[in-house]
Amino acid sequence: MNTSRYISFKSNRSCLTFLFLLFAICNACNRKSVKETLNNSSSGIQLITKAQRFKIEKVDGYFRVNIINPWQGADNINMEYYLVRRDSVLPAGLDSADVIFVPVKNIVCMSTTHVAMLAALGEENTISGVSGPGYIYSENLQKNIKAGLVADVGYDSGINKELILTISPDLIMMYGIGSESAGYVGKIRELGIKVVFNADYLETDPLGKAEWIKLFGALYCKEKIADSIFQSEIRLYDNLKAYISGNATERPKVLLGLPYKDTWYVSPGNSFISKIITDAGGEYLWNDTESSVSMPFGIENVYLRALTADFWFNIGSISTRSEIEAVDPRLTKLPCFLKGNLYNNNRRTTLKGGNDYWESGTVFPHLILKDFANILHPELFRNNDLFYYKKIK
Amino acid sequence: MNSIEKIVSKIMFDPRARSRILFILLALIMIILFILDIFFGSVTIRSADVIKALFTDTGSNYETIILKFRLPKAITAVAVGIGLSLSGLQMQTVFRNPMAGPDVLGISSGASLGVAFVILGFSSNLSTAGIAGIGNWILVIAAWIGAGAVMILIMAISSRVKDIMTILILGIMLSSGISAVVTIMQYFSNETMLKAYVIWTMGSLGNLTSGQLQVLLISLSAGIILSFLSIKMLNALLLGENYAGSIGLNIRLARILVFTCTSILAGSVTAFCGPIGFIGIAVPHIVRILFKTSDHKILIPGTIFTGAAVMLLSDIISQLPGSESVLPVNSVTSLIGIPVVIWVIFRNRKYSGQF
Repeated sequence: MNTSRYISFKSNRSCLTFLFLLFAICNACNRKSVKETLNNSSSGIQLITKAQRFKIEKVDGYFRVNIINPWQGADNINMEYYLVRRDSVLPAGLDSADVIFVPVKNIVCMSTTHVAMLAALGEENTISGVSGPGYIYSENLQKNIKAGLVADVGYDSGINKELILTISPDLIMMYGIGSESAGYVGKIRELGIKVVFNADYLETDPLGKAEWIKLFGALYCKEKIADSIFQSEIRLYDNLKAYISGNATERPKVLLGLPYKDTWYVSPGNSFISKIITDAGGEYLWNDTESSVSMPFGIENVYLRALTADFWFNIGSISTRSEIEAVDPRLTKLPCFLKGNLYNNNRRTTLKGGNDYWESGTVFPHLILKDFANILHPELFRNNDLFYYKKIK
Repeated sequence: MNSIEKIVSKIMFDPRARSRILFILLALIMIILFILDIFFGSVTIRSADVIKALFTDTGSNYETIILKFRLPKAITAVAVGIGLSLSGLQMQTVFRNPMAGPDVLGISSGASLGVAFVILGFSSNLSTAGIAGIGNWILVIAAWIGAGAVMILIMAISSRVKDIMTILILGIMLSSGISAVVTIMQYFSNETMLKAYVIWTMGSLGNLTSGQLQVLLISLSAGIILSFLSIKMLNALLLGENYAGSIGLNIRLARILVFTCTSILAGSVTAFCGPIGFIGIAVPHIVRILFKTSDHKILIPGTIFTGAAVMLLSDIISQLPGSESVLPVNSVTSLIGIPVVIWVIFRNRKYSGQF
């Protein structure tokens, strides 16, 4: 889901409110200080290799999951959960408020990426609620939605708590776009419903993002399947990356995004998409920047650099050249526009706004990489069919 | 007494000489700020290159930046500054309230509603693919319709209600009601649409095509002509509506003239550039303080120069020269305007004699 773009102007809250909320969150959902957790973290086997924002450890009889700083700007927040099998006895010393019984049988997913991971594990039918059914691409889930099996639970502070109580899911998979998310989540927890924050969208490494499938694996007692999906993803991604870096002779320059009026929100050089471009043998124009949010640059600044771009990707939700002209006629003077090297990630979309790029693209980053490589270096591949991307005409 | 002292005392005590000097100074400041606005932007360009781009046909990238980005933006800033300040001045006089401005009567929120219908309204029913493709013109026309509808409503009310304060309060109620509707629409829209709308509300000067700029300048000229035509009416209205009526002013006609003028000025600015706050309220006060008069023969040209200068200054600040980032221009105008408004509130007792 396209949350990270939205954050950039939600992040300027006053420090005081933020600190206060931070405090409240630490007390509400953790009850254990970070220090304490780190002290006894040595006892398990760590299962996570690439993701930065979560840990899963296999401890005697259960999994210990730690979600680390699950939203933009979170600092020193650690949420700990214990995944205990339904048929086993609750191990002593665990706070039952943090225990989730697995396998989960009934889940509410707030982000499309969660849906994609469950789809990869074949557990789509356990989804009983989503946030905005219109944005779902998955055909299976769309079928369930049409059959009335999946509820629309709302979003942010507008989450329909009464509806959630009626569904009474085993778990709500949440994403947090800011410290304020803890507020409405606290209310849901009070109702006795387990909430896990998913921070996959904050992972800057494509494989780190894909590794979040292991969380779903652990929740559904399918850790082996999840691991094998992830391992095959690493293989596919790394092989492709090695092939490109061994054979590509030049690095075409890549422009991303679209301005809003005279401000252009630029993805930083340490972002997910910048990494994919680099791995696909391209050079992202803002490779040298570093930031945790998209940066608001003046349009003239971006325009000057954009004049050197060979390719233009992720152009908002645009599908024709005339739409770009409607946004800003000056953009049609860019060399990459004149050359027609315009590609957008909306080949697989639904009428209501579902986009598989934001869905299965999270689980299978090698497919995104392959699209970029096919476009930037078509000579390296026999078959130049694209999966998520299409050329704008 | 030597000649310099004579000149100084003349400036100090002769209001005409004072105004003349002030006009020259303000015009100079405006021109200097206009030039600075072209020289400074988020890209650092050497002065020599700027001059070369302006006067020779080099075809360089800098030329594109200067001619296609900065020059239209600076002209827009002048137009926006003049349009909003003039409409603010006229409203303050008509309502005899120092806090009146284009935002207050619901004109800006009417325009916002039109824009919200376009940006957010379609989103719930149609595909998301449209948003970037929605033409600027549709947006502008929607804003005009919104602003116009509010104006017609206010005019209808004002023909029945005598008390101008009641109209002001109704205008405030109207804008609150409209923003409630917009909030509901925001709630039901997706993130891309929401962002597009929020960005619109931040205001922007740099996205006008040459065709749009022409329309803005034409409506601005119409507004300026109407303002000059209404000078006598405005001066009469300052004395109070009863008195103005007794010296033969057609109050209803005066209101219609001023409201039309205001909605042309504020409506087109809001449509093209988004709601830009506090210029309309603050600039007329700055002008009154500078010229120490309430004669609209002086205030209107003074407002034109000052409004343009303040808006140009806001634009220069919002470009944050030397850094790649930019600030929303609306927050800059608010930060400049709010202190003036607060100052006016504190001095209100001393000040209200002029209304």
